[in-house]
Amino acid sequence: MTQQGDPPSRGAVGVVDLLARVENDHDLLCKLIRMSKEGHPRVMQSLQHPVACRDIKNVEATSHSLKGMLSELSAKQATATASRLEQMAREEERLDLANLLARLESEVAGLLTQLDG
Amino acid sequence: MKILIADDDAVSRRLLEKTLEREGYEVLAVENGRLALAQLSLPDGPRLALLDWMMPGMDGPGVCAEIREQTGRPYVHVVLVTSRGTKRDIVAGLDAGADDYLTKPWDPAELTARLLVGQRILQLEDRLVEARETMRFKATHDALTSLFNRGVIVDLLARELSRTRRENGSTVVMLGDLDHFKNVNDTCGHVVGDEVLRETARRLLASVRSYDLVGRYGGEEFLIVLNNCDASQAILRAEQVRNGIASLPVQTQRGPIPITMSLGVLASRDWNLHLVEEVLSEADSALYRAKADGRNCIRFAKPSALCGAMEPLVRT
Repeated sequence: MTQQGDPPSRGAVGVVDLLARVENDHDLLCKLIRMSKEGHPRVMQSLQHPVACRDIKNVEATSHSLKGMLSELSAKQATATASRLEQMAREEERLDLANLLARLESEVAGLLTQLDG
Repeated sequence: MKILIADDDAVSRRLLEKTLEREGYEVLAVENGRLALAQLSLPDGPRLALLDWMMPGMDGPGVCAEIREQTGRPYVHVVLVTSRGTKRDIVAGLDAGADDYLTKPWDPAELTARLLVGQRILQLEDRLVEARETMRFKATHDALTSLFNRGVIVDLLARELSRTRRENGSTVVMLGDLDHFKNVNDTCGHVVGDEVLRETARRLLASVRSYDLVGRYGGEEFLIVLNNCDASQAILRAEQVRNGIASLPVQTQRGPIPITMSLGVLASRDWNLHLVEEVLSEADSALYRAKADGRNCIRFAKPSALCGAMEPLVRT
């Protein structure tokens, strides 16, 4: 499991895994990347408010959705962080939510940068 | 084969859609549980479904539970696809009625294999339903004519009489018997006799409304129940039936055979009879009179107080 404070991985997206999942369909891959670049910032933004006001129910639901989205891109590290955030919310660990969110934001930003490339 | 995908994440949806299209599925993709339920509830809706667990409005297990509540429609094989992968989650999903479970990120080969399992289960279910329907048909229909058998037509008559009494309506009961049918069997053989009975059944069905009931009451006896039909229409309807039988000879392997039918007819409103056996007994008496009066005719059973009001077509 990802520990808080680790630097985001340079290879945020598992390209080999992802290409296998789309069965080497580059057109589909480009489309999924475009959709992810549009969708992820919106979901990240929708996490900020519940984390700020410690609305754990919404943190759990949104981080779960994000976990699913990230796993589809074979973004293992960001998926693990989103999963940790979901688990903390489920277990009502409110204290470190903001720190973990910051880490997730950083990892997703790295992911989006990689997708841009 | 049609398959439904329900996932609120556009990327997951697109990825699944493309993978399944490659496998030859006709894919229908929706973004929430309510739309999924609407599609799965359609009469010709998909019978394979991949549902995300968490969706806005109604989640995957919620859709499963609703689908399982629906009766009288073909089975839907549901696979939950989600990133919730604990044992507790899996049990909860299966408890809600899901048939299978895949965790994200799913593997294309595993997905395809699991869907093939789903297809096999659906094919098995189809064969079981078909076998059940065949058994049901055989238990309720006459093997030779495919009309209702005696037990069923009498039960249906009892139900119809009861409904008619409750609604103060009228049901017409016709008991018909092929004239001189024994001669057909004796001179042409039972195979030809069977041909005549099958053609008689076809003609009877053709001469009544789609919602009227026709059954084989005995060897060459047939019972016809006309819903919402009163005495004033009964004579005309009985004449249609009689004429439908007699108008053309039956073409058989031994050549054309002319046939006729005698009918005893009764309108339930004219009688204060509560038992189906009494109704059948009165219809049978009228049929007996039709036979005695020369056959190929209709006799109407009416209580003696009403006999003066008969139409000229028939005598009571």
